[in-house]
Amino acid sequence: MLDVGRHPNIELMAYSELDALEGEAGAFKATVRKKVRYVDEAKCTGCGACAEACPTPVPDRYNEGHAERKAIYSWFAQGIPSTHAIDTEYCRVMNGKKCGICQKKCEAGAIDFEQKEEILSLDVGAVIVATGYDVFDPSKMPEYRYTVLDNVVTAMEFERFLSASGPTEGHIYRPSDLKLKAERADLAKKAAKSMKMLKKIEDKHGQSSKDFFESFDMDTADDDQKKWAAKYEAYLEVAKPLARLEEKLAGTGTAKKLAFIQCVGSRDLRFYPFCSGYCCMHSIKEAIIAHEHDNETNSVIFGMDIRAVGKGFEEYKVRGENKSNIRYKRSRVAEIVKGDDERPVLIYEDTQDQVVKKEDFDLVILATACAPVKGTSKIAGILDIEMDQYGFFKTQAQQPLDTSKPGIFVCGCAHSPMDIPESVAQASSAAARAVQAVLQAPALKVS
Amino acid sequence: MSKETLAFYEEPRIGVFVCDCGSNIAGHLDCSQVAEYAETLPHVVYVKENLYTCSESGIVEIQKGIKDHNLNRVVVASCSPRTHHPLFSSSCAEAGLNPYLFEMVNIRDQCSWVHMGKRDNATHKAKELVRMGVAKSAGLEPQEEIESSLIRKILVIGGGVAGMSAAQALAGMNLEVILVEKSSQYGGLLRQVNTLDTGEDALESVQALAGEISTQEHIKGYLSSEVRDVSGYIGNYDVRINTPDGEVADKVGCIVVATGAVSLIPEGLFEYDGKQVVSMMELEQQLKHNDLSAKRVVFIQCAGARNEQREYCSRICCMMAVKNAMLIKEKYPLTDVQVLYRDMQMYGTHKEQMLWNARGMGVRFHVYDPADPPRVAGGNVSFYQSVTNEEVSLETDLTVLSTPLVPRSDAGTIANMLRVPTDQNGFFLEAHAKLRPLDFAADGIFVCGSGRYPATSVEAKTQGIGVASRVAAILFKDKLVKSAIVAKIHPESCVGCMACLSMCPYEAISYNPELRVCEINEILCKGCGNCAATCPSHSAELKGYKAEQLLAQIGAL
Amino acid sequence: MTKDILVLGGGIAGIQSSLDLAEMGFKVYLVESLPSIGGKMAQLDKTFPTNDCAI
Repeated sequence: MLDVGRHPNIELMAYSELDALEGEAGAFKATVRKKVRYVDEAKCTGCGACAEACPTPVPDRYNEGHAERKAIYSWFAQGIPSTHAIDTEYCRVMNGKKCGICQKKCEAGAIDFEQKEEILSLDVGAVIVATGYDVFDPSKMPEYRYTVLDNVVTAMEFERFLSASGPTEGHIYRPSDLKLKAERADLAKKAAKSMKMLKKIEDKHGQSSKDFFESFDMDTADDDQKKWAAKYEAYLEVAKPLARLEEKLAGTGTAKKLAFIQCVGSRDLRFYPFCSGYCCMHSIKEAIIAHEHDNETNSVIFGMDIRAVGKGFEEYKVRGENKSNIRYKRSRVAEIVKGDDERPVLIYEDTQDQVVKKEDFDLVILATACAPVKGTSKIAGILDIEMDQYGFFKTQAQQPLDTSKPGIFVCGCAHSPMDIPESVAQASSAAARAVQAVLQAPALKVS
Repeated sequence: MSKETLAFYEEPRIGVFVCDCGSNIAGHLDCSQVAEYAETLPHVVYVKENLYTCSESGIVEIQKGIKDHNLNRVVVASCSPRTHHPLFSSSCAEAGLNPYLFEMVNIRDQCSWVHMGKRDNATHKAKELVRMGVAKSAGLEPQEEIESSLIRKILVIGGGVAGMSAAQALAGMNLEVILVEKSSQYGGLLRQVNTLDTGEDALESVQALAGEISTQEHIKGYLSSEVRDVSGYIGNYDVRINTPDGEVADKVGCIVVATGAVSLIPEGLFEYDGKQVVSMMELEQQLKHNDLSAKRVVFIQCAGARNEQREYCSRICCMMAVKNAMLIKEKYPLTDVQVLYRDMQMYGTHKEQMLWNARGMGVRFHVYDPADPPRVAGGNVSFYQSVTNEEVSLETDLTVLSTPLVPRSDAGTIANMLRVPTDQNGFFLEAHAKLRPLDFAADGIFVCGSGRYPATSVEAKTQGIGVASRVAAILFKDKLVKSAIVAKIHPESCVGCMACLSMCPYEAISYNPELRVCEINEILCKGCGNCAATCPSHSAELKGYKAEQLLAQIGAL
Repeated sequence: MTKDILVLGGGIAGIQSSLDLAEMGFKVYLVESLPSIGGKMAQLDKTFPTNDCAI
């Protein structure tokens, strides 16, 4: 990734969109719009002092919403380029409020609230479309209660939980427990503040608030005593739920019993009839890594077929079963319902035992489909290329990288769902086709 | 290198950069303590701790450090040199420091990862490793990179769809290609196949491609020919080819291995007899010649695959079974077609669609348990049906065994000739399963098609075209530039015992009978250091890892 | 008439295409809509079957 940022032949235009493409193979004219970062690319060193100082927390999309970033941010810590950007939806200045702290903190003087978007015109001989895919939104499947149940997450969310640089530093906590922990932290902060105030009064009177309150009599108390009592009562209002939360959290640990549900949105005529190809291996990998993190982890992978169709994949799948406590269950899970202690309960038919079973888990991971990106039809319109019946860019078997327009090629999941090595091989192929196109394009007629 | 430059390096001024790697390192050891400690080490004049040294800002810090503090050695204590050494050393070079004066210490894999939960111990070990790295760096010497010429011609071994696609793509990029095919016709495995999953006639499609190949002026094709010998190195290989018209010798810059695979003949499996029980390839021929008379057909998937002997899934057999099941249903709608499978491997958009369509046409699919595989006997296939918990018996006129693709019998010979590795199944082993699927670890040699792992015709074509990019990335350059970390044999002390010769895995050492010493080919040398470790007279040494440099490092422990 | 090439999307596919083209000596414009390149793969912790770091 870093090689791209450093290669003298690559002009990296991040945070930019293609607005128009005209012309033909060998002589396209592309209009690229550089979106406004409100941060000067040339000056920003990516040091992050601005983000540290920014007072506005924003849900972090890179961490699938399970962590917070700031209204001025870099996409992720090792991101290329590391140039920051201001999120106009949340930034106080952009919303007419007083702030500008980032501007004061930036030693490079890179923050520019007056920055305007830039329109660039590029002459190119060929175009490679590698616009990727979107993760299917499983809230479209009401039976799995994604977003209703805290402990039902997508495979990409779980990926972030597994990551040492993720929101839980690689510990697999249940989102419901994380919520409680956040609540606890919030209450503890309030309790500490209130305690600090009480401490001052206690020191003055040489008596603990508890003792004072036991002998407190509203009728005989003076104003000072009444104030003290009111403060103590306010403290108790925070301390009691805090104690209850502490008790509740005392028994919680990490999630150890995991369920992976395959074909969420894939092989489903309501959504996408196709197989997304990589999700079976993704689940197996996540289950193996989870077991590496904690060898008491048990995983069940529920799928119609386990498609371990790649070099070394079947071996990896068997290794997961033998060494990482993974069980594979041939089943299509019917429903997920709420169980005790926020535990999701799966209802499924066990085709081995021919019975419908209910089984609860600590955490359920949904292996979501590889969906065509939202803007596919818009991009297809700009490029004037056809889409296939599934919503990806159309190619022919005889020329698997060529779109319907000469000089425009497609690779990776914009072509169809595929895994990483296939994407990489296709990317090299698309590059070869693009080179052939620019080498063979007829010379422009001089008018 | 001028004397002035050398003088600049004499008195070491070392900069140490300690990376937190977010929490990856700093979460498990005290990076600030390591940084403080580094300041106390001899010759260290500058120390900096970074959140991510590999980030753009981290790199800027290194380059700024070099300029501001006049550093002539740089040590980064972070992750694995395997992934990040090239980045850091080239960043040093950009700042004007000879890149071979960069040293890397791995405090992630060797400290924070392996000693997780033992913060003090991990911190202590990180300090020791940094001390060793600093001691070694003080003795580092500047090196000059090695340059070599390139021959802009490619040898493609194998004229199947992958090899032909590679040849065609390379020729389309104005590169000269020699295409060598063992049999008398191009097309490889697809010549045995009736139709492709895309509906095309397999033979017609390869013949069309072969037709284009034969008219391409940049491609010199040799049919009924075999590559006998390959010597040399990236950019400059000497190849000898046995052709019907005698031996041909030529020079090429890169080599593409597209030798394909063969379909396993199911001898001894499921009562295979070639008549009532046939292989998938035999069915292809029956369908091609319209001589299918069976009224009841049963396919058995994973015949000879996904078992202890052959663990891998062959990727394409489910697709072939569904394709042929549909073809039978189309041609003979009254024929009963049943498929016994373990997992239907119909990945992606098009293949899953085929599965939907096959079901719609009345093809029946049943799961079988590999622990209790189907039994074939006298026109009958029986198996345990777990869904209904009963033993099912199917009357059949024809049982078709979906057998996996297996490596060609000569794959090992080719691997030895080219000095490239194969995997546990005998397929060619690429450089990296994820990120370098078309490269061999050996520079200048590439792989595509089913010789690497079973592939559909579209996948083989895609890989063949992709290889062209990988090749052109080398051959479009003016010259080859390669790392200076290679071995050197001092002729004055070498006694010509040739102990190093047999130790070199890259055949980079040869014996010079005139001078009676061993000599290194710098282009072939990969800098493994085997020769340096073996040489009894200490004449062989590895640049950047000389005995005194390593001893300084060990001495610091 | 130009030999420069436009790559849309800075995920693993776009990155690989760009690097190959750049190594072949072609000028590449790599357009990514997010503030940084890396795509989905940059969100992955590790990759199978070798469990290498994804970034």
